[in-house]
Amino acid sequence: MDTVIVKNLVKTFSTRNGKIKAVDDVSLSIRKGEIFGLLGVNGAGKSTLINILSGLMTPDSGKIFIFGKDFEKYEEEIKGRFNVATAYYALSHNLTVLQNLKVFAKLYGVRNAEQKINQLLEKFFIFNLRNLRVVTLSSGEKSRLVLVKALLNDPELLFLDECTVGLDPDMAELTREFLQEYNKRTKCTILFTSHYMEEVERICQRIAFMDEGKIVKIGNAKEIIKELEEQKVELHFSANIKKAEEILKELKISYTKEQNKILHFSILNQEKIIFPILEKFIHKNVPFDDLHLKKPTLEEYFIKKSREK
Amino acid sequence: MKFHRIKGLLWNYYYFSLNSLDRIFDVFYWPIVDILIWGFMTTYIKGISDFNIVNLILGGLILWVFLWRSSQDIVTYLLEHYWSRSLYHLFVTPVSSMEMITALAIMGIFRSMISFVVLSIFAYLFYQFNIFSVNPFHFMLFVSLLTLFAWGLGLLVSSLVFRWGSRIQVLAWSTIWILQPFSCVFYPLSTLPPWAMKIASLLPTTYVFEGLRASLTGEPVVYSQLLFAFILVIIFLMVVSLFLIKSIDSAKKKGSFAKPE
Repeated sequence: MDTVIVKNLVKTFSTRNGKIKAVDDVSLSIRKGEIFGLLGVNGAGKSTLINILSGLMTPDSGKIFIFGKDFEKYEEEIKGRFNVATAYYALSHNLTVLQNLKVFAKLYGVRNAEQKINQLLEKFFIFNLRNLRVVTLSSGEKSRLVLVKALLNDPELLFLDECTVGLDPDMAELTREFLQEYNKRTKCTILFTSHYMEEVERICQRIAFMDEGKIVKIGNAKEIIKELEEQKVELHFSANIKKAEEILKELKISYTKEQNKILHFSILNQEKIIFPILEKFIHKNVPFDDLHLKKPTLEEYFIKKSREK
Repeated sequence: MKFHRIKGLLWNYYYFSLNSLDRIFDVFYWPIVDILIWGFMTTYIKGISDFNIVNLILGGLILWVFLWRSSQDIVTYLLEHYWSRSLYHLFVTPVSSMEMITALAIMGIFRSMISFVVLSIFAYLFYQFNIFSVNPFHFMLFVSLLTLFAWGLGLLVSSLVFRWGSRIQVLAWSTIWILQPFSCVFYPLSTLPPWAMKIASLLPTTYVFEGLRASLTGEPVVYSQLLFAFILVIIFLMVVSLFLIKSIDSAKKKGSFAKPE
Protein backbone atom coordinates (compact mmCIF):
# COMPACT_ATOMS: atom_id res chain seq x y z
CA MET A 1 0.00 0.00 0.00
CA ASP A 2 1.22 3.50 -0.79
CA THR A 3 1.71 5.70 2.28
CA VAL A 4 1.16 8.97 0.42
CA ILE A 5 -1.05 9.44 -2.63
CA VAL A 6 -1.36 12.89 -4.14
CA LYS A 7 -3.87 13.51 -6.90
CA ASN A 8 -3.93 16.60 -9.11
CA LEU A 9 -2.74 18.98 -6.41
CA VAL A 10 -2.82 22.68 -7.28
CA LYS A 11 -1.69 25.64 -5.18
CA THR A 12 -1.64 29.19 -6.49
CA PHE A 13 -0.32 32.28 -4.74
CA SER A 14 -1.31 35.82 -5.60
CA THR A 15 1.63 38.19 -5.83
CA ARG A 16 2.06 41.77 -6.97
CA ASN A 17 3.17 40.43 -10.33
CA GLY A 18 0.11 38.24 -10.73
CA LYS A 19 -0.68 34.66 -9.82
CA ILE A 20 2.01 32.04 -9.42
CA LYS A 21 1.27 28.34 -9.59
CA ALA A 22 3.58 26.97 -6.89
CA VAL A 23 2.19 23.46 -7.27
CA ASP A 24 0.75 22.69 -10.68
CA ASP A 25 -1.38 19.57 -11.03
CA VAL A 26 0.99 17.34 -9.09
CA SER A 27 0.17 13.65 -8.76
CA LEU A 28 2.49 11.15 -7.13
CA SER A 29 2.54 8.24 -4.75
CA ILE A 30 5.13 7.26 -2.19
CA ARG A 31 5.39 3.61 -1.26
CA LYS A 32 5.37 2.33 2.29
CA GLY A 33 8.90 2.21 3.71
CA GLU A 34 10.36 4.15 0.82
CA ILE A 35 12.83 7.04 1.07
CA PHE A 36 11.57 9.36 -1.60
CA GLY A 37 13.63 12.36 -2.73
CA LEU A 38 12.16 15.59 -3.96
CA LEU A 39 14.51 17.75 -5.98
CA GLY A 40 14.26 21.02 -7.80
CA VAL A 41 15.76 24.48 -7.99
CA ASN A 42 14.74 27.14 -5.48
CA GLY A 43 11.11 28.06 -6.07
CA ALA A 44 10.34 24.79 -7.86
CA GLY A 45 7.54 24.06 -5.39
CA LYS A 46 9.15 21.44 -3.12
CA SER A 47 8.57 23.22 0.18
CA THR A 48 5.04 24.24 -0.81
CA LEU A 49 4.26 20.59 -1.57
CA ILE A 50 5.68 19.51 1.82
CA ASN A 51 3.78 22.31 3.58
CA ILE A 52 0.53 21.12 2.01
CA LEU A 53 1.24 17.48 2.84
CA SER A 54 2.00 18.38 6.46
CA GLY A 55 -1.20 20.39 6.87
CA LEU A 56 0.33 23.86 7.12
CA MET A 57 -1.31 25.00 3.91
CA THR A 58 -4.53 24.13 2.16
CA PRO A 59 -4.39 23.38 -1.58
CA ASP A 60 -6.67 25.11 -4.10
CA SER A 61 -7.71 21.74 -5.46
CA GLY A 62 -6.65 18.12 -5.50
CA LYS A 63 -6.74 15.24 -3.07
CA ILE A 64 -4.26 13.83 -0.56
CA PHE A 65 -4.45 10.37 0.96
CA ILE A 66 -2.03 9.48 3.73
CA PHE A 67 -2.00 6.00 5.31
CA GLY A 68 -4.93 5.25 2.99
CA LYS A 69 -7.09 7.98 4.54
CA ASP A 70 -8.39 11.26 3.15
CA PHE A 71 -6.12 13.91 4.72
CA GLU A 72 -8.83 16.55 4.68
CA LYS A 73 -11.19 14.37 6.75
CA TYR A 74 -8.70 12.65 9.06
CA GLU A 75 -6.11 15.41 9.45
CA GLU A 76 -5.89 15.19 13.24
CA GLU A 77 -5.44 11.40 13.31
CA ILE A 78 -2.94 11.42 10.43
CA LYS A 79 -0.87 14.24 11.93
CA GLY A 80 -0.34 12.15 15.07
CA ARG A 81 1.38 9.51 12.94
CA PHE A 82 3.79 11.70 10.98
CA ASN A 83 6.33 14.37 11.81
CA VAL A 84 8.29 17.10 10.08
CA ALA A 85 11.84 18.41 10.33
CA THR A 86 13.12 21.44 8.52
CA ALA A 87 16.33 23.39 8.76
CA TYR A 88 14.44 26.65 8.33
CA TYR A 89 12.40 26.67 11.54
CA ALA A 90 13.91 26.09 14.95
CA LEU A 91 11.83 25.28 18.02
CA SER A 92 10.75 28.08 20.39
CA HIS A 93 13.91 30.06 20.99
CA ASN A 94 12.95 31.28 24.45
CA LEU A 95 12.50 27.75 25.78
CA THR A 96 15.28 25.34 26.68
CA VAL A 97 15.96 22.21 24.64
CA LEU A 98 14.31 20.04 27.29
CA GLN A 99 11.30 22.32 27.75
CA ASN A 100 10.62 22.31 24.01
CA LEU A 101 10.85 18.54 23.77
CA LYS A 102 8.65 18.01 26.85
CA VAL A 103 5.97 20.20 25.25
CA PHE A 104 6.05 18.26 21.96
CA ALA A 105 6.11 14.93 23.80
CA LYS A 106 2.88 15.98 25.55
CA LEU A 107 1.32 17.22 22.30
CA TYR A 108 1.99 13.84 20.69
CA GLY A 109 1.02 11.89 23.81
CA VAL A 110 4.43 10.17 23.99
CA ARG A 111 4.74 7.51 26.70
CA ASN A 112 7.92 7.38 28.80
CA ALA A 113 8.68 10.81 27.38
CA GLU A 114 11.68 11.59 29.53
CA GLN A 115 13.45 8.33 28.66
CA LYS A 116 12.66 8.80 24.97
CA ILE A 117 13.88 12.40 24.97
CA ASN A 118 17.14 11.47 26.68
CA GLN A 119 17.78 8.59 24.25
CA LEU A 120 17.26 10.81 21.21
CA LEU A 121 19.30 13.66 22.67
CA GLU A 122 22.18 11.24 23.19
CA LYS A 123 21.74 9.79 19.71
CA PHE A 124 22.18 13.25 18.19
CA PHE A 125 24.91 14.31 20.63
CA ILE A 126 23.02 17.19 22.23
CA PHE A 127 22.25 15.68 25.62
CA ASN A 128 24.65 18.13 27.28
CA LEU A 129 22.70 21.04 25.78
CA ARG A 130 19.35 20.04 27.27
CA ASN A 131 19.16 22.91 29.75
CA LEU A 132 20.26 25.62 27.31
CA ARG A 133 17.82 27.96 25.62
CA VAL A 134 17.38 27.30 21.92
CA VAL A 135 18.43 30.87 21.11
CA THR A 136 21.95 30.07 22.34
CA LEU A 137 22.43 27.02 20.08
CA SER A 138 24.35 26.98 16.80
CA SER A 139 22.41 26.37 13.57
CA GLY A 140 23.68 22.78 13.44
CA GLU A 141 22.56 22.14 17.01
CA LYS A 142 19.15 23.62 16.22
CA SER A 143 18.83 21.32 13.20
CA ARG A 144 19.66 18.32 15.38
CA LEU A 145 17.09 19.43 17.95
CA VAL A 146 14.42 19.64 15.24
CA LEU A 147 15.35 16.11 14.16
CA VAL A 148 14.97 14.90 17.75
CA LYS A 149 11.53 16.53 17.87
CA ALA A 150 10.62 14.87 14.57
CA LEU A 151 11.42 11.42 15.95
CA LEU A 152 9.62 11.82 19.30
CA ASN A 153 6.35 10.21 18.21
CA ASP A 154 7.95 7.25 16.36
CA PRO A 155 6.57 8.60 13.06
CA GLU A 156 5.44 6.24 10.33
CA LEU A 157 6.01 9.06 7.85
CA LEU A 158 8.70 11.74 8.01
CA PHE A 159 8.87 14.92 5.99
CA LEU A 160 12.46 16.10 5.98
CA ASP A 161 12.90 19.47 4.31
CA GLU A 162 16.64 20.07 3.88
CA CYS A 163 17.18 18.69 7.36
CA THR A 164 20.96 18.32 6.98
CA VAL A 165 21.54 22.00 6.18
CA GLY A 166 23.86 23.55 8.76
CA LEU A 167 25.22 20.22 9.96
CA ASP A 168 28.95 19.63 9.77
CA PRO A 169 29.97 16.80 7.37
CA ASP A 170 30.46 14.29 10.17
CA MET A 171 27.09 15.04 11.77
CA ALA A 172 25.38 15.07 8.36
CA GLU A 173 26.82 11.61 7.69
CA LEU A 174 25.70 10.33 11.09
CA THR A 175 22.23 11.73 10.44
CA ARG A 176 21.99 10.01 7.04
CA GLU A 177 23.15 6.75 8.59
CA PHE A 178 20.60 7.13 11.37
CA LEU A 179 17.79 7.85 8.93
CA GLN A 180 18.67 4.85 6.77
CA GLU A 181 18.85 2.62 9.83
CA TYR A 182 15.56 4.04 11.19
CA ASN A 183 13.89 3.52 7.81
CA LYS A 184 15.13 -0.08 7.68
CA ARG A 185 14.14 -0.85 11.27
CA THR A 186 10.71 0.79 11.38
CA LYS A 187 9.70 0.78 7.69
CA CYS A 188 9.06 4.51 8.12
CA THR A 189 8.33 6.28 4.86
CA ILE A 190 10.50 9.35 4.32
CA LEU A 191 9.97 12.28 1.98
CA PHE A 192 13.35 13.95 1.69
CA THR A 193 14.39 17.21 0.08
CA SER A 194 17.97 18.37 -0.12
CA HIS A 195 20.30 20.46 -2.18
CA TYR A 196 23.05 17.90 -1.70
CA MET A 197 22.60 15.65 -4.73
CA GLU A 198 25.06 13.04 -3.55
CA GLU A 199 23.03 12.67 -0.38
CA VAL A 200 19.79 12.21 -2.30
CA GLU A 201 21.40 9.80 -4.77
CA ARG A 202 22.73 7.73 -1.90
CA ILE A 203 19.76 7.41 0.39
CA CYS A 204 16.65 7.82 -1.79
CA GLN A 205 15.13 4.83 -3.50
CA ARG A 206 13.15 7.04 -5.88
CA ILE A 207 13.45 10.68 -6.80
CA ALA A 208 11.04 13.21 -8.25
CA PHE A 209 12.24 16.34 -10.02
CA MET A 210 10.06 19.41 -9.67
CA ASP A 211 10.19 22.37 -11.97
CA GLU A 212 7.84 25.36 -11.92
CA GLY A 213 5.41 23.49 -9.70
CA LYS A 214 5.28 20.38 -11.88
CA ILE A 215 6.85 16.98 -11.44
CA VAL A 216 8.94 16.56 -14.55
CA LYS A 217 10.61 13.24 -13.77
CA ILE A 218 10.17 10.36 -11.34
CA GLY A 219 12.40 7.34 -11.06
CA ASN A 220 15.39 5.91 -9.25
CA ALA A 221 18.72 7.69 -9.54
CA LYS A 222 20.10 5.23 -12.14
CA GLU A 223 17.07 5.62 -14.39
CA ILE A 224 17.22 9.38 -14.17
CA ILE A 225 20.94 9.54 -14.83
CA LYS A 226 20.51 7.26 -17.85
CA GLU A 227 18.71 10.16 -19.46
CA LEU A 228 22.01 12.00 -19.64
CA GLU A 229 23.49 11.05 -23.00
CA GLU A 230 27.18 11.28 -22.29
CA GLN A 231 29.81 9.96 -19.93
CA LYS A 232 33.21 11.60 -19.76
CA VAL A 233 36.51 9.85 -20.42
CA GLU A 234 39.96 10.98 -19.36
CA LEU A 235 43.03 9.13 -20.76
CA HIS A 236 46.48 9.82 -19.35
CA PHE A 237 49.63 9.25 -21.44
CA SER A 238 53.33 9.55 -20.82
CA ALA A 239 54.14 9.22 -24.55
CA ASN A 240 52.55 8.65 -27.97
CA ILE A 241 49.84 11.22 -27.46
CA LYS A 242 49.88 12.00 -31.20
CA LYS A 243 49.08 8.40 -32.05
CA ALA A 244 46.29 8.47 -29.52
CA GLU A 245 44.89 11.60 -31.12
CA GLU A 246 44.94 9.88 -34.49
CA ILE A 247 42.91 6.98 -33.13
CA LEU A 248 40.28 9.32 -31.77
CA LYS A 249 40.15 11.20 -35.07
CA GLU A 250 39.75 7.91 -36.85
CA LEU A 251 36.82 7.04 -34.56
CA LYS A 252 35.39 10.52 -35.21
CA ILE A 253 35.48 11.38 -31.51
CA SER A 254 36.10 15.03 -30.71
CA TYR A 255 38.46 15.63 -27.80
CA THR A 256 40.43 18.22 -25.87
CA LYS A 257 44.06 18.07 -24.78
CA GLU A 258 45.50 18.95 -21.41
CA GLN A 259 49.22 19.64 -20.97
CA ASN A 260 49.96 17.33 -23.95
CA LYS A 261 49.46 14.39 -21.57
CA ILE A 262 45.73 13.99 -21.03
CA LEU A 263 42.94 13.56 -23.55
CA HIS A 264 39.34 14.39 -22.60
CA PHE A 265 36.42 13.14 -24.64
CA SER A 266 32.81 12.06 -24.24
CA ILE A 267 31.14 8.83 -25.23
CA LEU A 268 27.54 7.70 -25.14
CA ASN A 269 26.14 6.89 -21.73
CA GLN A 270 25.78 3.17 -22.39
CA GLU A 271 27.21 0.11 -20.69
CA LYS A 272 30.52 -1.28 -22.08
CA ILE A 273 30.70 1.31 -24.87
CA ILE A 274 34.27 2.17 -23.87
CA PHE A 275 35.56 -1.36 -24.63
CA PRO A 276 35.92 -1.13 -28.47
CA ILE A 277 37.73 2.21 -28.08
CA LEU A 278 40.20 0.79 -25.61
CA GLU A 279 40.71 -2.28 -27.81
CA LYS A 280 41.74 0.05 -30.63
CA PHE A 281 44.39 1.64 -28.41
CA ILE A 282 45.73 -1.77 -27.39
CA HIS A 283 45.56 -3.11 -30.95
CA LYS A 284 47.53 -0.13 -32.28
CA ASN A 285 50.01 -0.47 -29.45
CA VAL A 286 49.29 2.93 -27.90
CA PRO A 287 49.59 2.36 -24.17
CA PHE A 288 47.98 4.73 -21.69
CA ASP A 289 48.95 5.18 -18.06
CA ASP A 290 45.58 5.85 -16.55
CA LEU A 291 41.91 5.89 -17.42
CA HIS A 292 39.10 7.82 -15.70
CA LEU A 293 35.58 7.05 -16.74
CA LYS A 294 33.23 9.57 -15.21
CA LYS A 295 29.64 8.40 -15.22
CA PRO A 296 27.06 11.18 -15.11
CA THR A 297 25.74 12.09 -11.66
CA LEU A 298 22.44 13.31 -10.34
CA GLU A 299 24.08 16.67 -9.81
CA GLU A 300 24.89 16.90 -13.54
CA TYR A 301 21.31 15.97 -14.33
CA PHE A 302 20.11 18.65 -11.92
CA ILE A 303 22.41 21.28 -13.41
CA LYS A 304 21.49 20.29 -16.96
CA LYS A 305 17.77 20.50 -16.21
CA SER A 306 18.17 23.83 -14.40
CA ARG A 307 20.14 25.33 -17.29
CA GLU A 308 17.72 24.03 -19.89
CA LYS A 309 15.20 26.39 -18.33
CA MET B 1 -10.32 17.71 21.78
CA LYS B 2 -7.64 15.77 23.62
CA PHE B 3 -6.68 16.70 27.17
CA HIS B 4 -3.00 15.74 26.78
CA ARG B 5 -2.64 18.26 23.95
CA ILE B 6 -4.26 21.07 25.96
CA LYS B 7 -1.94 20.09 28.83
CA GLY B 8 1.03 20.25 26.44
CA LEU B 9 0.07 23.75 25.33
CA LEU B 10 -0.43 24.87 28.94
CA TRP B 11 3.08 23.63 29.74
CA ASN B 12 4.30 25.59 26.71
CA TYR B 13 2.68 28.78 28.05
CA TYR B 14 3.99 28.05 31.53
CA TYR B 15 7.53 27.79 30.12
CA PHE B 16 7.00 30.98 28.10
CA SER B 17 6.03 32.72 31.39
CA LEU B 18 8.82 31.15 33.40
CA ASN B 19 11.51 32.25 30.93
CA SER B 20 10.17 35.73 30.25
CA LEU B 21 10.39 38.64 32.64
CA ASP B 22 7.82 40.46 30.46
CA ARG B 23 5.17 37.82 31.14
CA ILE B 24 5.88 37.86 34.88
CA PHE B 25 5.68 41.66 34.95
CA ASP B 26 2.32 41.52 33.15
CA VAL B 27 0.72 39.68 36.05
CA PHE B 28 2.09 41.71 38.95
CA TYR B 29 3.70 44.99 38.00
CA TRP B 30 1.05 46.92 36.04
CA PRO B 31 -1.94 45.83 38.15
CA ILE B 32 -0.09 46.84 41.34
CA VAL B 33 0.98 50.18 39.85
CA ASP B 34 -2.64 50.77 38.81
CA ILE B 35 -4.08 50.03 42.22
CA LEU B 36 -1.53 52.25 43.94
CA ILE B 37 -2.24 55.24 41.66
CA TRP B 38 -6.01 54.87 41.73
CA GLY B 39 -6.06 53.98 45.40
CA PHE B 40 -4.08 57.07 46.45
CA MET B 41 -6.09 59.30 44.11
CA THR B 42 -9.42 58.10 45.47
CA THR B 43 -8.16 58.41 49.03
CA TYR B 44 -7.37 62.05 48.19
CA ILE B 45 -10.82 62.62 46.62
CA LYS B 46 -12.46 60.99 49.63
CA GLY B 47 -10.68 63.56 51.80
CA ILE B 48 -12.19 66.52 49.93
CA SER B 49 -15.71 65.13 49.46
CA ASP B 50 -18.26 63.38 51.63
CA PHE B 51 -18.86 60.65 49.09
CA ASN B 52 -17.04 57.33 49.70
CA ILE B 53 -15.57 56.80 46.27
CA VAL B 54 -12.76 54.40 47.23
CA ASN B 55 -14.87 51.24 47.11
CA LEU B 56 -16.40 52.15 43.75
CA ILE B 57 -13.08 52.94 42.08
CA LEU B 58 -11.16 50.01 43.55
CA GLY B 59 -14.00 47.54 42.89
CA GLY B 60 -14.16 48.73 39.27
CA LEU B 61 -10.40 48.60 38.92
CA ILE B 62 -10.06 45.03 40.27
CA LEU B 63 -12.71 43.70 37.90
CA TRP B 64 -11.29 45.75 35.04
CA VAL B 65 -7.83 44.21 35.59
CA PHE B 66 -9.50 40.79 35.53
CA LEU B 67 -11.02 41.56 32.11
CA TRP B 68 -7.85 43.20 30.81
CA ARG B 69 -5.51 40.34 31.76
CA SER B 70 -7.84 37.58 30.55
CA SER B 71 -8.31 39.10 27.11
CA GLN B 72 -4.75 40.31 26.60
CA ASP B 73 -3.07 37.06 27.67
CA ILE B 74 -4.91 35.07 25.00
CA VAL B 75 -3.33 37.24 22.32
CA THR B 76 0.04 37.67 24.02
CA TYR B 77 0.64 33.92 24.20
CA LEU B 78 -0.49 33.49 20.62
CA LEU B 79 1.99 36.21 19.67
CA GLU B 80 4.70 34.36 21.63
CA HIS B 81 4.32 31.60 19.02
CA TYR B 82 4.81 34.18 16.25
CA TRP B 83 7.79 35.83 17.95
CA SER B 84 9.52 32.52 18.51
CA ARG B 85 8.48 31.31 15.04
CA SER B 86 7.16 28.12 16.59
CA LEU B 87 3.82 28.12 14.77
CA TYR B 88 5.34 25.95 12.03
CA HIS B 89 6.12 23.10 14.41
CA LEU B 90 2.89 23.61 16.36
CA PHE B 91 0.63 23.37 13.33
CA VAL B 92 2.21 20.16 12.03
CA THR B 93 1.20 18.45 15.29
CA PRO B 94 -2.36 17.14 15.70
CA VAL B 95 -3.22 20.21 17.84
CA SER B 96 -6.52 21.68 16.68
CA SER B 97 -7.41 25.36 16.71
CA MET B 98 -10.03 24.64 19.41
CA GLU B 99 -7.43 23.00 21.66
CA MET B 100 -5.12 25.96 21.17
CA ILE B 101 -7.86 28.47 21.97
CA THR B 102 -8.95 26.45 25.03
CA ALA B 103 -5.39 26.38 26.36
CA LEU B 104 -4.99 30.12 25.73
CA ALA B 105 -8.27 30.83 27.51
CA ILE B 106 -7.34 28.67 30.52
CA MET B 107 -3.95 30.38 30.72
CA GLY B 108 -5.65 33.79 30.50
CA ILE B 109 -8.03 32.93 33.34
CA PHE B 110 -5.25 31.47 35.47
CA ARG B 111 -3.08 34.56 35.11
CA SER B 112 -5.96 36.98 35.66
CA MET B 113 -6.84 35.05 38.83
CA ILE B 114 -3.29 35.65 40.08
CA SER B 115 -3.59 39.37 39.29
CA PHE B 116 -7.02 39.42 40.92
CA VAL B 117 -5.76 37.82 44.15
CA VAL B 118 -2.73 40.14 44.29
CA LEU B 119 -4.91 43.22 43.72
CA SER B 120 -7.50 42.10 46.25
CA ILE B 121 -4.79 41.68 48.89
CA PHE B 122 -3.25 45.07 48.05
CA ALA B 123 -6.65 46.80 48.08
CA TYR B 124 -7.40 45.29 51.49
CA LEU B 125 -4.00 46.04 53.02
CA PHE B 126 -3.62 49.61 51.71
CA TYR B 127 -7.20 50.88 51.54
CA GLN B 128 -9.20 48.39 53.66
CA PHE B 129 -11.35 47.57 50.65
CA ASN B 130 -12.68 44.01 50.57
CA ILE B 131 -13.85 43.00 47.08
CA PHE B 132 -15.57 39.99 48.64
CA SER B 133 -17.96 42.34 50.42
CA VAL B 134 -19.88 42.26 47.13
CA ASN B 135 -22.80 39.83 47.22
CA PRO B 136 -21.19 36.45 46.23
CA PHE B 137 -23.95 35.66 43.72
CA HIS B 138 -23.54 39.06 42.06
CA PHE B 139 -19.79 38.68 42.17
CA MET B 140 -19.95 35.32 40.37
CA LEU B 141 -22.28 36.82 37.73
CA PHE B 142 -19.93 39.75 37.12
CA VAL B 143 -16.83 37.57 36.90
CA SER B 144 -18.53 35.04 34.57
CA LEU B 145 -19.71 37.78 32.21
CA LEU B 146 -16.31 39.45 32.18
CA THR B 147 -14.56 36.11 31.58
CA LEU B 148 -16.75 35.31 28.58
CA PHE B 149 -16.34 38.82 27.18
CA ALA B 150 -12.57 38.68 27.74
CA TRP B 151 -12.41 35.41 25.78
CA GLY B 152 -14.42 37.02 22.99
CA LEU B 153 -12.10 40.01 22.84
CA GLY B 154 -9.01 37.83 23.00
CA LEU B 155 -10.33 35.64 20.19
CA LEU B 156 -11.24 38.68 18.10
CA VAL B 157 -7.71 40.08 18.25
CA SER B 158 -6.29 36.54 17.78
CA SER B 159 -8.36 36.23 14.61
CA LEU B 160 -6.85 39.48 13.34
CA VAL B 161 -3.35 38.20 14.19
CA PHE B 162 -4.04 34.94 12.31
CA ARG B 163 -5.27 36.97 9.34
CA TRP B 164 -2.57 39.64 9.21
CA GLY B 165 0.24 38.24 11.34
CA SER B 166 2.20 39.83 14.16
CA ARG B 167 2.49 43.17 12.34
CA ILE B 168 -0.84 44.12 13.95
CA GLN B 169 0.37 43.10 17.40
CA VAL B 170 -0.26 46.62 18.69
CA LEU B 171 -3.96 45.66 18.85
CA ALA B 172 -3.13 43.11 21.53
CA TRP B 173 -2.33 45.92 23.94
CA SER B 174 -4.64 48.63 22.69
CA THR B 175 -8.03 47.05 21.91
CA ILE B 176 -9.19 46.71 25.50
CA TRP B 177 -8.40 50.38 26.26
CA ILE B 178 -10.71 51.59 23.47
CA LEU B 179 -13.54 49.98 25.41
CA GLN B 180 -12.64 51.37 28.82
CA PRO B 181 -14.14 54.87 28.44
CA PHE B 182 -17.43 53.37 27.23
CA SER B 183 -17.54 50.54 29.78
CA CYS B 184 -18.28 52.93 32.66
CA VAL B 185 -15.68 51.29 34.88
CA PHE B 186 -15.26 54.24 37.24
CA TYR B 187 -18.39 56.34 36.60
CA PRO B 188 -22.10 55.67 35.95
CA LEU B 189 -23.59 55.40 32.47
CA SER B 190 -25.55 58.60 33.05
CA THR B 191 -22.24 60.55 33.07
CA LEU B 192 -21.67 59.88 29.37
CA PRO B 193 -22.90 62.20 26.58
CA PRO B 194 -25.78 60.75 24.48
CA TRP B 195 -23.56 59.57 21.57
CA ALA B 196 -21.22 57.71 23.96
CA MET B 197 -24.19 56.27 25.85
CA LYS B 198 -25.33 54.57 22.63
CA ILE B 199 -21.97 52.83 22.30
CA ALA B 200 -21.85 51.98 26.00
CA SER B 201 -25.31 50.38 25.88
CA LEU B 202 -23.97 47.84 23.37
CA LEU B 203 -21.13 46.74 25.64
CA PRO B 204 -21.79 43.97 28.17
CA THR B 205 -19.09 45.46 30.39
CA THR B 206 -21.24 48.57 30.99
CA TYR B 207 -23.92 46.46 32.69
CA VAL B 208 -21.36 44.58 34.77
CA PHE B 209 -19.83 47.78 36.16
CA GLU B 210 -23.28 49.38 36.68
CA GLY B 211 -24.25 46.22 38.58
CA LEU B 212 -21.05 46.31 40.62
CA ARG B 213 -21.70 49.90 41.68
CA ALA B 214 -25.26 49.01 42.65
CA SER B 215 -24.06 46.02 44.64
CA LEU B 216 -21.37 48.06 46.46
CA THR B 217 -23.78 50.89 47.38
CA GLY B 218 -26.53 48.51 48.48
CA GLU B 219 -28.86 49.42 45.64
CA PRO B 220 -30.80 46.69 43.78
CA VAL B 221 -28.94 45.06 40.88
CA VAL B 222 -31.02 45.10 37.68
CA TYR B 223 -31.02 41.45 36.54
CA SER B 224 -32.69 42.21 33.22
CA GLN B 225 -29.63 44.32 32.34
CA LEU B 226 -27.29 41.47 33.25
CA LEU B 227 -29.41 39.08 31.17
CA PHE B 228 -29.12 41.50 28.23
CA ALA B 229 -25.35 41.64 28.79
CA PHE B 230 -25.25 37.84 28.78
CA ILE B 231 -27.13 37.70 25.44
CA LEU B 232 -24.74 40.30 23.98
CA VAL B 233 -21.73 38.27 25.12
CA ILE B 234 -23.08 35.03 23.65
CA ILE B 235 -23.80 36.70 20.29
CA PHE B 236 -20.35 38.29 20.37
CA LEU B 237 -18.67 34.94 21.13
CA MET B 238 -20.54 33.19 18.31
CA VAL B 239 -19.63 35.84 15.75
CA VAL B 240 -16.00 35.93 16.91
CA SER B 241 -15.74 32.11 16.80
CA LEU B 242 -16.89 32.10 13.19
CA PHE B 243 -14.45 34.89 12.38
CA LEU B 244 -11.66 32.95 14.07
CA ILE B 245 -12.35 29.80 12.04
CA LYS B 246 -12.40 31.89 8.84
CA SER B 247 -9.15 33.61 9.83
CA ILE B 248 -7.34 30.31 10.49
CA ASP B 249 -8.62 29.01 7.13
CA SER B 250 -7.36 32.18 5.49
CA ALA B 251 -3.94 31.79 7.17
CA LYS B 252 -3.73 28.21 5.91
CA LYS B 253 -4.71 29.28 2.40
CA LYS B 254 -2.05 31.99 2.39
CA GLY B 255 0.46 29.62 3.98
CA SER B 256 1.15 32.07 6.81
CA PHE B 257 2.18 29.33 9.25
CA ALA B 258 4.91 28.20 6.87
CA LYS B 259 6.35 31.62 6.08
CA PRO B 260 8.75 33.52 8.26
CA GLU B 261 7.55 37.01 9.20
